Amino acid sequence: MATAFEFAPAIALFPLAAFVIALAFGKYMPKKGALAGIAATAASLVFSLWAFVTVAGGETYHETLYEWAVGDPTSEAGVQGIEFTFGILLDPLSTLMLVIVSLIALLVHVFSLGYMNAEGETGLPRYYAELGLFTFSMLAFVFADNLLMAFMFFELVGLCSYLLIGFWFRTESAPSAAKKAFLVTRFGDYFFLLGVVAIAATFGTLQFAGPESFVDAAADAIDGEETLFGFGAETWVTITGLLVLGGVIGKSAQFPLHTWLPDAMEGPTTVSALIHAATMVAAGVYLVARMFGYYALSPTALAIIAFVGGFTALFAATMGVVKDDIKQVLAYSTISQYGYMMLGLGVGGYVAGVFHLMNHAFFKALLFLGAGAVIILMHHEQDMWKMGGLKDKAPVTYYTFLAGALALAGIIPFSGFWSKDEILYDAFVLGLEDPVFGVAYAMALLAVFFTGLYTFRMVILTFHGEPRSEAAADPHPVGPSVTFPLATLGVLALVAGVANLAPIAKLTGMDITYLEFWLDGEYGVVDGLTYTAYTETIGYPAGEIVSEQATLLIAAGLGLGLAVAGALTAYVLYSGPEPVRHTEKLGSVYGVLRNNYYQDEYQVWLARNLTLPVARGADRFDQGVIDGVVNGVSSVSLFGGGGVKRLQTGVVTNYAALIMLGFLALLLVFGLHGGWFL
Amino acid sequence: MTVPVEYYVLLSLALFCIGLFGVLTRRNALMFLMSVELMLNAATINLIAFAFYHGNLTGQVFALFAMALAAAEVAVGLGIILVLYRNFRDVDVTVPSTMRW
Repeated sequence: MATAFEFAPAIALFPLAAFVIALAFGKYMPKKGALAGIAATAASLVFSLWAFVTVAGGETYHETLYEWAVGDPTSEAGVQGIEFTFGILLDPLSTLMLVIVSLIALLVHVFSLGYMNAEGETGLPRYYAELGLFTFSMLAFVFADNLLMAFMFFELVGLCSYLLIGFWFRTESAPSAAKKAFLVTRFGDYFFLLGVVAIAATFGTLQFAGPESFVDAAADAIDGEETLFGFGAETWVTITGLLVLGGVIGKSAQFPLHTWLPDAMEGPTTVSALIHAATMVAAGVYLVARMFGYYALSPTALAIIAFVGGFTALFAATMGVVKDDIKQVLAYSTISQYGYMMLGLGVGGYVAGVFHLMNHAFFKALLFLGAGAVIILMHHEQDMWKMGGLKDKAPVTYYTFLAGALALAGIIPFSGFWSKDEILYDAFVLGLEDPVFGVAYAMALLAVFFTGLYTFRMVILTFHGEPRSEAAADPHPVGPSVTFPLATLGVLALVAGVANLAPIAKLTGMDITYLEFWLDGEYGVVDGLTYTAYTETIGYPAGEIVSEQATLLIAAGLGLGLAVAGALTAYVLYSGPEPVRHTEKLGSVYGVLRNNYYQDEYQVWLARNLTLPVARGADRFDQGVIDGVVNGVSSVSLFGGGGVKRLQTGVVTNYAALIMLGFLALLLVFGLHGGWFL
Repeated sequence: MTVPVEYYVLLSLALFCIGLFGVLTRRNALMFLMSVELMLNAATINLIAFAFYHGNLTGQVFALFAMALAAAEVAVGLGIILVLYRNFRDVDVTVPSTMRW
């Protein structure tokens, strides 16, 4: 009987096959490659679920498949003799993520039938091929068992997002947005690469798990108080961890490298759904979760993660409030939600962070696909001020979108509430003890209000009130390939929270925190990769007010109260047949928010006034000094050769005379030297 | 009674200088070849003289080799002169200077 693990590579290889098929034969296929993509992602989903069930049965899988280089033993600490390999690690975290990614990818493929095929887009084989490659890269990234393999597929994910964001390359904005996404994430990935090299050079291994993992090597180095490259072991772990975090911040669109993500809305909406929910952006946070044991060794790195996360959550949420484009609102909500995940991981809430990653994948895919449906309904209009009144004309879209919105805003009992509440609770109990985390918590808590506000502003403007344009009054119908994914995700957005009802478990004492058990090795387990192990390594204190239950209720009440307050504010401001543009009354604040805090402007300014002069100087140095020396040497020898060649007369007699004179001169020199004439 | 080695060396020196003079002053390729032959024989005389002086036969053996080599060299040299004549209708060594640079 074959086991699921023997087929593990197939999970990623199916979409790769779909990529090849769509690219080569897509033109001749009935749905231009969509069917190959759907079949491949469905197969990936089946195999992922099989692996998931097998892990639930208590087994895990960690195997090196291919070794492509072996190095000399010269590490500072840890394993001697580095090996660069491709391998697969299937543990609770990666199988969970595999299921999420393949499910979202499948639904996005199905939705694309309605969004791309039905709308008569050109270049569909290319579209489906790129989707396949994207899914393949992400799945391979998820089950990677070492950091280098993860880095390679991380880069491939970035490349695919570049290709897909720039899918409509004939427009002016899409190629520029694609380039921006590529460059900004590359900037982060550069640090990631440095981190990979540093970790490899320090510990001689890049494995995530097992006795030869860099996490264990780092823990040993810290215990042994070793000195690595002139730093204390813990400082060095912090430095390398932060280098890797650079890649995470770029990919997961955290401040200050978040600027690419709103622009990435230039791609097809289905691609946005895939990027935001399951692939590209999720890759960053997943990487932190994957090597959480390493970050757990460095309180400084964790504090920075938490702080960046909390700040980004608030920062992006405020910008989301003033956007008019439905996809822009969702883009900023994504940045904000990934901020929450970073905060959750930063405060040691491994389960909370992964839980929110999962829920967010469902509800954000839902919201983006819902937005895609709205865009179909609206004949490709994205401005929310031209919508309105779609509620009755497209009930399926409305109710599923509403489910996603409630989950995003974190209203009980939708999935987003449970995970966000858990993050906020973890941050809260830590914040009571440590003011740094307290500040991060406060920012995230404030962001909850804005989340409720922009989410319901979006829902109300889009679906409620009276139609504000002809398109809204007479929407284009949507087919089953659109409504089926929406319905699936709508149900998931509603019920996915059941996976980890931590507050109820704490209040009633029931054992229903399934996700926590799952990640804590109650089912399949890889040594060291459990929530308990991480928590012990971090050793954060937990503060409380009166009792644990009371603290829990206070935290949940605060979060829910603010979310509801935000939603009600949106309702009060924007409901009614003719909503008013309240945001414009904010005056100069509106200008700042509208211009995204001038983030793009200052980054362009930095590029123009700092990077460009430096590059110009370097170019001048290269052209002048380096090339100058080389050119100088060649001109000198050319000129010298031109002069010396006159010696060669072509007359043999002259040569003979020269030889003779030379011989006599030599004789004279040796003679004088030897003392003949003295 | 034997002739002292100095005389042989002087003979060789004289022969070499005659050859050198020929190479430096003549323009006829055939004269050139003869002069080179003179210089070669000067060296050979040296070899034999010192072989005799040291009572060692190695020098004589080398002299034989040098003679064989000289014969081959003359063949090559004459060939070159023939080609020279064919191309330039002349055996003046200063004429073919077209291959210098």
